[in-house]
Formats: sequence, C-alpha cells, structure tokens
Amino acid sequence: MRRKRTLARTLMTLTLSLTLIAGCSAGENAGSGNNASAGNNAGAGEASARSKTSLTYASAKDINDMNPHLYTGSMPAQGIVYESLVENTKEGIKPLLAESWDISADGKTYTFHLRQGVTFHDGEPFNAEAVKANFEAVLANGEKHAWIKLSTKIASVEAKDEYTVVLTLTDTYYPALVELSMTRPFVFISPKDFKEGGTKDGVNGFHGTGPYKLTKHEPEQHAVFEANESYWGGAPTIKTITSKVLPAGETTFLALQKGEVDFVFTDDRGADSIDIGAMNQLVESGDYQLVRSEPMNTKMIVANTSKEGNPAAETAVREAIWHAIDREAISEAIFAGTEKPADRLFSENVNYADVELSKREYDLERAKTLLDEAGWTLGAGDPVRKKNGAELAMKLYYDSNSSSQKTQAEFIQSTLSELGAKLELIGEESSSIASRRASGDYDLLFNQTWGLAYDPQSTITAFTTASSYLHATSGIEQAEELYQKIDEVMVSTDGEARKALYADIMRIVHDEAVFIPLTNGSVTVVAPAELKGIAFKQTQFELPFERMGY
Amino acid sequence: MAPYIARRLLLTVPLLIVVSFVTFLLIRLSPMDPAEVVLQAQETPQITEELLAQTREELGMNDPFLLQYANWLMSCFRLDFGESYVSGQPVWSLIGPAFANTLSLTLISSVFIIVLSTLLGVVSALREGSLADKSTRGLSFFLTAIPSYGLASVLIWLLAVKLDWLPTSGMDSAASFVLPVAVIAVNYVGIYFRTVRSSVLSNKNEEYVLYARASGLSERAVTMRILRNSLQVAVAIFGMSIPIILGSTVVIENVFAWPGLGRLSVKAILSRDFPIIQAYVLIVAVAFVVINTVSDIVNAAINPKLRSERA
Repeated sequence: MRRKRTLARTLMTLTLSLTLIAGCSAGENAGSGNNASAGNNAGAGEASARSKTSLTYASAKDINDMNPHLYTGSMPAQGIVYESLVENTKEGIKPLLAESWDISADGKTYTFHLRQGVTFHDGEPFNAEAVKANFEAVLANGEKHAWIKLSTKIASVEAKDEYTVVLTLTDTYYPALVELSMTRPFVFISPKDFKEGGTKDGVNGFHGTGPYKLTKHEPEQHAVFEANESYWGGAPTIKTITSKVLPAGETTFLALQKGEVDFVFTDDRGADSIDIGAMNQLVESGDYQLVRSEPMNTKMIVANTSKEGNPAAETAVREAIWHAIDREAISEAIFAGTEKPADRLFSENVNYADVELSKREYDLERAKTLLDEAGWTLGAGDPVRKKNGAELAMKLYYDSNSSSQKTQAEFIQSTLSELGAKLELIGEESSSIASRRASGDYDLLFNQTWGLAYDPQSTITAFTTASSYLHATSGIEQAEELYQKIDEVMVSTDGEARKALYADIMRIVHDEAVFIPLTNGSVTVVAPAELKGIAFKQTQFELPFERMGY
Repeated sequence: MAPYIARRLLLTVPLLIVVSFVTFLLIRLSPMDPAEVVLQAQETPQITEELLAQTREELGMNDPFLLQYANWLMSCFRLDFGESYVSGQPVWSLIGPAFANTLSLTLISSVFIIVLSTLLGVVSALREGSLADKSTRGLSFFLTAIPSYGLASVLIWLLAVKLDWLPTSGMDSAASFVLPVAVIAVNYVGIYFRTVRSSVLSNKNEEYVLYARASGLSERAVTMRILRNSLQVAVAIFGMSIPIILGSTVVIENVFAWPGLGRLSVKAILSRDFPIIQAYVLIVAVAFVVINTVSDIVNAAINPKLRSERA
C-alpha cells in the first residue's frame, strides 16, 4: 500500500513539475526576446567553432529532381552544381564555360570557344560533343522550353572541333546570350547521365561542372553538396553545403537559434522563411548578420484588361487604383522598411528601363476625380460607385502562403472602399493563381517581375504569352502596336533602336497602368556573423556560395 | 471466434472499394484539367495547347472514366500508385517511406499514451478524491487545452535550444523522437486517462467486486480483477488513437520537420499532385479500416460477450 502511494505521488510530482517548467518558460519567452537569444549564443557559437568550412541552409522545399533540363528542381541547388556557357553579371555577359565567343555580322551564328580542361563531376570531359549532346537533349523536349524563346530559334548546334561549338539561329535574336546564361535549361550535365540518349525522361545521375557536387540526398530531409576540389575556378572555401528541409517560421527560427542551420535566404517565390522580427532578433544576438541584395524585382498587382465585366479593364479604374495605394505606408508598416516603394514596373537599375515615365503619386482626390470622370459615380447614400447600373466591384487574388500579400490586400481594400470601390479578396495557392493568370479568370492578382537577369526581356516576352500576361495586356487600345514592338525588339541588332523600342513598350504599359507596382523586392540572406564574401547574382533564384568563406 | 473474424474481414472489402471509388471520383470532379495541373505542378513556365494534348495522351485521360478507375485500382493492388505529377517519381517511393516515418511516430506515441494513461487513470481511480486524483485531473485539463503547436514550440525552445539536450527538428537519431512523441502523448494522455479512470471507477462499483470482497479475497486480488476488466478500455484506446494520430500528425510533422505522411499530403494538396492525394487518402482509409478491425477482433477475444452480441 505504502509503495503504491509513493509511486503515485512521485508520478504526480514529476508531471506537475514538468508542466510548471513548460509554463514558466513560455512566459519568459513571450516576455523578453533578449533572454531567449542570450541563452543561444552558446549554441550557435559552438556550431560555428566546430566547423568553419560548412554551411547548412534551411529550405521549405526539398531540392527535388535535380535534372537541369526540367523545372522541378530547386534553383539554388541546381545553380551550384551546373553551369552555363556564359554568365549574366552586373557588367553584362561574362565568360563561364565558354572562354570567348564570336557573333556573325547577321547575328545568327554564335561560335563559342570552350574553356579547356574542364571535367564533369564524374570525370567525363566537358567538350564540344558534350555541349552538342546537352543542347540536343533540351531541344528534344522543345514544348517544355517554349517560354525561353531561344529554344524555338536554334537551327543547329555543331561541334567544330574539340573545344569549338557553333550555334546557328533561324533568326537574329538579341537576348540569346542572356537566355544561355540562365539557370535552366541551357546548362550541362555529363552525357553519361543521359537516359535513352536524352534527359527528358529523367537522368541517371546529377554530374555537372559546377563548384559543388551532390553527394547525398535524403528526400524531404536533407541534401549534401561537397566542394568540387578540381573546379576550374579553384576549389571553393566552403567545403560542405547542406540543404535542410524545414518548414518556414518558428521551426526554422529555433533551428537557427540552436545553430542546427545557420543560413537562410529568400525563396524563389519571394517569400522569406522567417519574418523580419525574427531576423532582427538573430542579428541582435551577435551570431548572425543580415545581408540584403539590391532590388531584384517589382512586386505588383496585375489587372486583366481583356475580361468583360471587369471594371479594371478600364484605364481610368486602373489609374485610380494606382493612385489609391499608399506605397510608403506598405513599405513602412508591412515590410518594416525592408522593401522600398515601387512607382514603375521596372526600376531604373533594370537594363533599358532608364526611361522617363510620369509618376502617379498616392492621391485619393485624384483617384476620385478619375472615377467620376469615367462615369463611375457615387449615388447619395450608396457605399459603392456605379456606372450604367454595374457596381465598381472587383476580385483580387493573392497567394494564401504569403502573409505580406494578404496584409497588403486588406490594406488596399480598405482604402478603395473609402473611394467607393469594392474589392473582394480571395487567397489561393500559387499554382491556382498561375492557372488563373493563364486562363484569364481574374480581375486583379498579385505577381512579381522575374528578376534582374530576366527583366526586361523575359517579362516583356511574357506580355505576349497566354500563360503569362497576354490577358493582362490584350485589352488595351495599343495592344497590337505593343506586340509588334515586342517582336521587333527581340530581333533588333541595333542598340539604339532597341533602346527606343523598349522605351515605347514600357511607356505603353505604364500609361495604361496595366501593372500596378507596389514595392521592389530583394533577396535577403541571414548568415553566420563571421561569414565573408556574401554576394548575389543577377537573379533572385540562386546564390554564389563558392565565393563565400570564413 | 473464427467466423466472427471472417465476417469482420469480409465486411471491410466493400468498404474499401467504396472508399477507393469515392477517392478516385472526387479527384476527377475537380474542375481543373489534370493535364494542366501536371504541367503546372512541374512548373512548366509556358503551357501550350500541343503540350496539353501530349500530356493528356500520356496520362491516359482519353480513356472512358470507368476504365481509368479500373486501371488505377488494379495497379494499386501492385502498390503502383502512378507517378507524382510534380517530381515524376513513383508515388509509392515517396509515400512508402513517409508512411513508415509517420507510422513509427504514431506507434511509439501510442505506446506512451497507453502506458501513461492507464497508469495515471488507474492510480487516480484507486485514489479517488485524493489530492493526487484531483491534481492529475486538473493537470490533464490544462495539458489537453494547450495547442500542440504551442507546446511543441515551448518544448523545442526549452529542451533543444536553451538546454541543448535534443535536436530541434528532423529525424536524424533516436533523440529526434523524444519531442514529437512527448507532444503527441501529452495531448492524448489528458483525454484517455479520463476514459481509463472512469472505466476503473465503474468497475469498482460492480457487484462482482462486492462479491469478491465478501468472499474474503485480499484487496490486491480484488484490484487485479478490476484492472483486468478495465483492460478493454486500453485496447479500445489503442484502436482509436492510432488512426486518429496517423491522420492528424500534420501539425506535429510541420513543427518538427518530420518527413512523414502529413507533410507529404499537405504539400501534394497545395500543388494538386493528384496521384499522391489519391494514394494518401486510400492508405489512410485502409489503415483506419485495418486497425479498427484488429481492435474489434482483439476486444472480442478478451470479451466473449462482445463476440456473441456482434456476431
């Protein structure tokens, strides 16, 4: 009897004290963030002392299929394993696997002189034959790559000798080198990895020429990349990079505090895995630094100009919405100053975008006047403006996984309701938004431009493709003129003419207010405080890990 | 006993067929063109008409509906659930390991849930009205009320970050099990311990107890009898908790980055990876049916009365 009672008591005490501990620490955690980080200095410090040559980054997505000629793999991971012929830098196109190239006078023939002595991770030589085989593998799956116009313009690829490749185009196409520099699909995998002579039905291995080799992959858990010691550009200082699958938010934050992961960056949908408050807390602890790239893209609301019954198909309504958005407030209150207000589709640091455009200020009175003049009038006592009996009501679609889009949508909704415009907010997953964009079943939706390496040429090409912005652009008056200019600009060989064409294109969509800009997004990196050489590429989709070191 | 088991097993067959058909039908009822879904899931930047037609042909979507269902069902028997729209890998190669990871988490948690709730339930029932009983009941209210997400965050912060005893997340070693199991167990023990307690209490007032006492049996022997009769409840808990935990680990798996079925299925739903969703629903439904059947059979074995009533 007595023994039983003792046992019972011990059990109760144990459970009770555990709960008390949990309860107390919960209070402490909520009460002061500083306490939490003070306790963690030890954890993260130890982790970095243990190995000064590795990085572990958290990612919400698995690296997935690393086949570089398809689109399901993680771009940052593909970016360190595979390389392209040329590289897109701030100073323009630079050599990568091609040391130099000649372009024929008619702009149709590109002769690439390959870097010699480069091998794939499996030891296979990188030569003209390998380049030809990879191009052919990509072109064998042409439909998948239709978005990259170059893939539709290649007439032939020839291996002239061991290190010379001749690429012949059907038309002159000025962005050819830019498109060859992209993370996919024109990058190179060892021909030994090909399945049935190609890559479109999968590959047997993932051997590129890049600074890192994929050495281990536990799906949905982690992937390990080891430095390529015989990398032609010199062995990287960071010897091991681990990509760890962690859900965004609290879990990633706690893992960073403990030092289990020590690196996070903005993902390819523009979402950060931890919020601004958490980033600041990590930086305050002294273990981490926060590095932000220059603006990479423009976040915006896209209006469907071709949908019948959509009030935003009218220029005046789109302009009124533009004037009704307080971008300063969005930048300060929603992004804590980390994203700057954007007043144009392509900011001035984008190629060809240094164009004079009229600025539409935040001006509610102007917005009201525009609506009144367009015939959208507010009846006495009515909350919503009407025109010919139809209400000024629109649906705005946002990505339900992005907390900032939802907040912005609510903010814009409240301003517009003051003007007498009704905005219905609908959150959906990103693939569903993409599907609406393609089918034209939307009034307004959130989107972002594709980033420095892709702007303006790829985003502008997307104005004409059904799956992207065709529905957004086809309803405007000068649509035909716009498309003609887009066709012209892609084949123009004269720099000045191209500049003028781009200016016209940008002016048309700006004047028509098709793409209503919100903020400029950048890539954010949270890294160990002592890590040096943190830099960015010209895309929001990958990072140059090989240049980093302690 | 044998006819009872046979009948129970036979009953599950039509149930499973209905479940599989409804699963298949629901997916087809989705307003989206599966070919378009596949291409979007593969993040194909531009979807053309030719590409859509080609994909429809590859997926066999030009076949009549019932033929598609029959084909799908037959391949399911071979554990061939098709290929993921997103990654192109066989569904079973994705869902198999995830299922195993979730199942191991579920089984280990269930063992803790059963041991703890039986122990606490019995102790507080035998000491009914004591301080121990009252504080356990009070505590269980409190613990059950804490959302598992919050509890998990607090435990990770305390035990993994601050004290550095355990990993925060992932499934790298045996230590990785400690926190998720603890969180799951805490959530369910609070509920099930009451079930055990009230079962012991009601047994305590049964006439056979009075009779045993009157016959002069020792108090220990009486208690043993009560416990044996209360055991059924524990079996029922086991039967109930496994499928419930199996189907509701999403939150836990998300917090602890556990590479399990919950996370896989949520991801599949978000990216409309239909083959994975289909397989997931089917597997969970089968698990429900199988575990329920097993626990019914075990209960029938313990209690002949049940057997005759149900048969």
